[in-house]
Amino acid sequence: MFHQFSATAESLSKASSLVLRIGTDAHLYDDPDDVSIGPLLESRFDSEKVDALKRLLALLAQGSDVSQFFPQVVKNVASQSLELKKLVYLYLLHYAEKRQNEALLSINCFQKDLSDTNPLVRAWALRTMAGIRLHAVAPLVLRAITKCARDPSAYVRKCAAYALPKLYDLHHDEDNSSFEELVDILLNDHSPGVVGAAAAAFKSVCPSSLFLIAKSFRRLCEILPDVEEWGQIVLIEILLRYIIARHGIVKESIMFSLSTMSTTPVADGFPTFSGTSGSCQTLVGTTCDVNMITLMCKSYIDGQIECFAQTGCSNSSDDKLDLSLTSSTNDDVVMLLRCTSPLLWSHNSAVVLAAAGVHWIMAPRENIERIIKPLLFILRSCQASKYVILCNLLVFAKAVPPFFSQYYEDFFVCSYDTYQIRALKLEILSIIATESSIPIILQEFQDYVKDPDRRFVADTVAAIGLCAQRLPMVASACLEGLLAITFYESSLSSSSQIDGEAGVLVQAIMSIKAIIKQNPDSYDRVIVQLACNLDRIKIPAARALVIWIIGEYSVIGQIIPKVVPSILNYLAWSFTSEEPDTKLQILNTAAKVLLCAQGADSLAFRKILSYFIELAKYDINYDNGRMHHEPGGKILNGKMHSSISSTKSSRIYLPGSLSQIVLHAASGYEPLPKPCSLLNTDLTAGVVNETNDSDISSGSSIEESGSVYDSDHSSISSDDGNESVNDSNDTESTALAVRNDVQDVREKTLVDVSNVNVCVDDSNENTKGNLSAFISTDLAELMPKLALESWLDEEPGVSSIQTSQQASSGRISINNLNCTVTPKLHSLLDPTTNNGLRVEYAFSYEISTISSMLVLVEIFFENCSSEPIKNIALKDGESSSSVESSDQVLGESESLLRTANVPPVLSTEEIASLDPGQRVKKLIEIRFPHHLLPLKLVVTCNGKKFSTKLWPDIGYFLKPLSMNTSAFIDHERQLPGMFEYSKRCTFKDHIEKIAPVKDDSSIHSDKIILLSQILTSKVLSNCNVSLVCADIPVSFNIDDASGLCLRFSGELLSNSKPCLISILVEGKFSEPFVLTVKINCEETVFGLNLLNRVAAFLQ
Amino acid sequence: MLEKQMAGHRVDRSICAWFWDYVLSQGGDPSMILPVIASPTHYLFQLFRDGIIFLACTQVEMPPLMGIEFLCRVADVLTDYLGGLNEDVIKDNFVIVYEILDEMMDNGIPLTTEPNILREMITPPNIVSKMLSIVTGKNSNVSANLPDATASCIPWRKTNPKHSSNEVYVNLVEEMDAVFNRDGILVKCEIYGEVQVNSHLPGLPDLTLSFSNPSILYDIRFHPCVRFRPWESDQILSFVPPDGEFRLMSYRVKKLKNTPIYVKPQLTSDAGNCRVNVLVGIRNDPGKAIDSITVQFQLPLCVASANLTPNHGTVNILADKTCCWSIGQIPKDKSPSLSGNLVLEVGLDKLHVFPVFRVGFRIMGVAFSGLQIHKLDVKNTPSEPYKGFRALTRSGEYEVRA
Repeated sequence: MFHQFSATAESLSKASSLVLRIGTDAHLYDDPDDVSIGPLLESRFDSEKVDALKRLLALLAQGSDVSQFFPQVVKNVASQSLELKKLVYLYLLHYAEKRQNEALLSINCFQKDLSDTNPLVRAWALRTMAGIRLHAVAPLVLRAITKCARDPSAYVRKCAAYALPKLYDLHHDEDNSSFEELVDILLNDHSPGVVGAAAAAFKSVCPSSLFLIAKSFRRLCEILPDVEEWGQIVLIEILLRYIIARHGIVKESIMFSLSTMSTTPVADGFPTFSGTSGSCQTLVGTTCDVNMITLMCKSYIDGQIECFAQTGCSNSSDDKLDLSLTSSTNDDVVMLLRCTSPLLWSHNSAVVLAAAGVHWIMAPRENIERIIKPLLFILRSCQASKYVILCNLLVFAKAVPPFFSQYYEDFFVCSYDTYQIRALKLEILSIIATESSIPIILQEFQDYVKDPDRRFVADTVAAIGLCAQRLPMVASACLEGLLAITFYESSLSSSSQIDGEAGVLVQAIMSIKAIIKQNPDSYDRVIVQLACNLDRIKIPAARALVIWIIGEYSVIGQIIPKVVPSILNYLAWSFTSEEPDTKLQILNTAAKVLLCAQGADSLAFRKILSYFIELAKYDINYDNGRMHHEPGGKILNGKMHSSISSTKSSRIYLPGSLSQIVLHAASGYEPLPKPCSLLNTDLTAGVVNETNDSDISSGSSIEESGSVYDSDHSSISSDDGNESVNDSNDTESTALAVRNDVQDVREKTLVDVSNVNVCVDDSNENTKGNLSAFISTDLAELMPKLALESWLDEEPGVSSIQTSQQASSGRISINNLNCTVTPKLHSLLDPTTNNGLRVEYAFSYEISTISSMLVLVEIFFENCSSEPIKNIALKDGESSSSVESSDQVLGESESLLRTANVPPVLSTEEIASLDPGQRVKKLIEIRFPHHLLPLKLVVTCNGKKFSTKLWPDIGYFLKPLSMNTSAFIDHERQLPGMFEYSKRCTFKDHIEKIAPVKDDSSIHSDKIILLSQILTSKVLSNCNVSLVCADIPVSFNIDDASGLCLRFSGELLSNSKPCLISILVEGKFSEPFVLTVKINCEETVFGLNLLNRVAAFLQ
Repeated sequence: MLEKQMAGHRVDRSICAWFWDYVLSQGGDPSMILPVIASPTHYLFQLFRDGIIFLACTQVEMPPLMGIEFLCRVADVLTDYLGGLNEDVIKDNFVIVYEILDEMMDNGIPLTTEPNILREMITPPNIVSKMLSIVTGKNSNVSANLPDATASCIPWRKTNPKHSSNEVYVNLVEEMDAVFNRDGILVKCEIYGEVQVNSHLPGLPDLTLSFSNPSILYDIRFHPCVRFRPWESDQILSFVPPDGEFRLMSYRVKKLKNTPIYVKPQLTSDAGNCRVNVLVGIRNDPGKAIDSITVQFQLPLCVASANLTPNHGTVNILADKTCCWSIGQIPKDKSPSLSGNLVLEVGLDKLHVFPVFRVGFRIMGVAFSGLQIHKLDVKNTPSEPYKGFRALTRSGEYEVRA
């Protein structure tokens, strides 16, 4: 409302910013060191000290290290000026850990401040004291916290609660009882503010000590609305965990009601709760995704890993959840629900979401709907939270679409939304659409199709397809709309090529294909329409799709068989001008038509097909044999799936958690506790005994459930990666749960050609030419018609749409490539700098038998002079003092080494004499100070000393770890998120190496194998790892190496932790490739350095 | 860049470098990237507000909304303290920013976020203190005493504020979200409103606010000071207000049928040219003047050049092809229109994508949802305070698709 004022103010501030800056700290920020800070700190006046500290803060804010002033600053801790104190504390907290000894000087002052009369001073002293992280003072801090926990001021008690996690973080080796005791005291505080802080402390100090909650559960519930908002978030979560652990799942909640519906014998499983069937009946009328809820329920309780073990066999009977139940009339549950419901009106979206999560899990189904409106209301906050909320709503909507079906309006896209938010909204809309709302939603979609953001339009088109599949009544209307889009887009793309337009067209045809598949008989006219417009559709991928549709449904209805011959004639005419993908589909279609044809037609078709094959034979781009044996192909598999229905959904984490947003379990993520795992015996005496103990199941049932999980777990670990067998299972359950990891998609389509491996092993350079033929015949055997069909029938939504040509259906995995490994020679001593001795070194592939800290290095001595060189020796070039200094720098690992007492160089005996031209190899074992820092060496010869440096190669701090592909993928899965680093680089070496042999017909088909060899030898020449497998995509485009994936594995020398390297190739042979190097390793620093190294030598 | 280490394990500054690389790899627009990012070493929460990026990182599981909400709160508090957010103002007041951050968060847990209390602990910069610092060379913005409110059960209120004035203002601020589809039909129309209260009352006053038509409220959210029970039973807002300005409640009113103004865009394209004609007028006269009317839209990328002339107001076309037409008030004698020609890129005959027109306006003195305040009772004050009521409606996400 003061818009005009603010506008004038703005222009004023622009004009007179200099004037306004007077009196602020601006000058301090701009030139913090225009006066010398040291004397200022020593000044008698507080104001000058404050000035100096502000300057220090400015420097600190700008990223410079000002720790040299630490001693002078520490002295000022005793000052009486509060502002000075505050600034000193800020500085102290930043540097105390670095300057431990000096920081100790401040402790006395803190001790004094702790008994100050001003509560603010006490609180600050406690906060800082706990925050400076000195191991030496930990006992003092504990005493201080104990004292402050009983402070008269609530603020100080609150700070005491906050100090607990800090101290716990510093040292928590000893028993937890003192911490628990303190948390207990603070949780029972009468001030809501303190309780909130205590909840935060509870969560980080002793999250599993739920018995602490037991005695004050009711009081905590009652106080919950008065706790400050941040405390509420944490406290809600703790209370929820407590209820689950104490009483189990509420039998009227969706968690229970639907998970048991999937397994029919409800009454048998839970004879005591025969009354539940009544409440379940209310659900039958609505369509809920039962599998989804079962999965969700399991994910919440079991966590993700076990959940994966179970999804594979979700149809079998043993996945019934062994949940312990309680009733919604349980007093504690009622209490929690009652006290969290007003929080749904909170100003803080995080509180609303946390409260909604409790209701989602605990509330009886008919009461859950009350969370929907508040959740939709918080959507109208900042863009960042909007995204997070939508991610959570998506899971809710998938589980029970009817809850949201009447609120479709809230998911309409507006122009302020970012692309990610739009995509989420579209996905939710296509899930919650019902027969009554779909006309309005489709109307809305029609508007979106004209949006300038073409990526969003493509998603909309995909969403239309999904809606049509879900609601068959609108399928024909959708189809009409999609056809209109197709024709419109195809007319457009003929006039000009605009970014993203192609995607829209391809997506439109994909959606059409998906709709047709549901009921091919009734859509024959659509197919004919598409076919008739074939010459208007110019984009190769789209053409290929249309041609595939024609082939697939060539015998359906009355009209299609009549037009098919003319279409084939048309294709025969255009064949030579088609793109490779399209050519392949033409062949595929011709073959299909021929197979289905009868009588006189078949002769004509046979002619056409043989004509195509004839043409293909002379096609430059083609490997004839391959093409012939692999109809189907990439278009049919990877690209069929719309981007919008990506399978992220299968990973479900607790509502409102970070893991749910990033879709992997973040460290510290804990699923809900096992129901009723908290037993009465755990609760200490004196607790008010609950009246409904009968609802709590006995301990034996819990053990039983535990064992069920265990066996499932072991079954997955014993799975030795027979992917091709698992495929069918996986595909069946995809709608339910498939991770959308590229890795997994790859795994699913992986064809393990194990007998080819043997052949490759034996083959030498000369037989390479036949390899491709070999592989392809094998592949043809492995992919009988049936398997192919099952790929074609794969549900959309299995994998996300890949950019252009990435996904391919067939893959060959080879784990032995004939490649030459040439270790790189590095120069240690140049013959010109001394009297003709050349010393070179190369890292050895052998592993030291003495210590895991040692790296083996081969040293080559060569005499380049004309005279013999005598008494050559190699010694460690560092004096003991320098070792000392490096120790300080290198910290922990170094000190470990020192205790191991391994000298840096385990040298060999000296070489008495080296004749001119003679070359001698010696093996030495070296302990490098660090995987990046060089080791100083001294070479003595003829009585002279030459100092030099031996640079380590990070690739040789590994040793090979052999594993098979599935073990690799398992390991990879265990190292997600922060343990995974990737980097892209370009690769050009192949251009000169592969290009010259292009005209040699026997070799050109194996370019991709050659490429794998080049890459493998590069890696193996620079790193001591072993090749796990080379995944070669069976691409139809011979010039395209996209999808080639090389995997290497090794383990760290020092601690035997696995380190996985994968290299993914994208691009064409004629151009530089884009390589994506990915490393999974638990040692973050090592991994990142290795990543840089690998990327560097590949480039 | 300001950095505040919260937990004991310090986070290296290099994470920011990583973040920038990431932003650049995603197209360089920080407002377009995901709010939650998993980097190799940390999970990042980011908030982009007025050209400043607020970044928080964690290595362990925590509710992401908590992180984002906290960043929003920091941004709000800083805006409030510094009178705006931009690089200069943060640099100028970096010491205050540090002090505020230190007070707001401790060891990764939000500590004091209530603006009223923060203001007592750390004095906001103002002209007087600036002058004082010039004259005396001394200035402390750190309060010497702990605000009593931290100890009380009503953490949002000072225990004993002293005021020369005895007044309370209630302000209804509504934002209208509306979407017209390409056929000109109203698809969605709702009001997002806030009840803002500015209270300067002595003692511990107890206020009750009631509406004459609370049934139209579709959704509500409350400030922590509102008691839930009276609302549940009688739909009455009963609360002890914080001192100063705060948002008592926010609400949503859905399914409205009327919009104050109409915008009718027409785009007809032919042979590489596109005729644009946009008409603006009053649809339902709210009874008060509608002012600050603006129409903003993004020209499609395929437009090579544009020539647009209004018959009222001014048109600005920015470098990123955003076209702003500011109208101000609608004149009595004519209805404003914008017309002109767009030249499409070579090779394009027709326009196949259509822009969305965002409309801005403001109506003083009217709460468009029709929500009316019935009465405001103030108890527990020595004398009857002055009570003021105001209302305002402005456009929120109000858009017309062409």
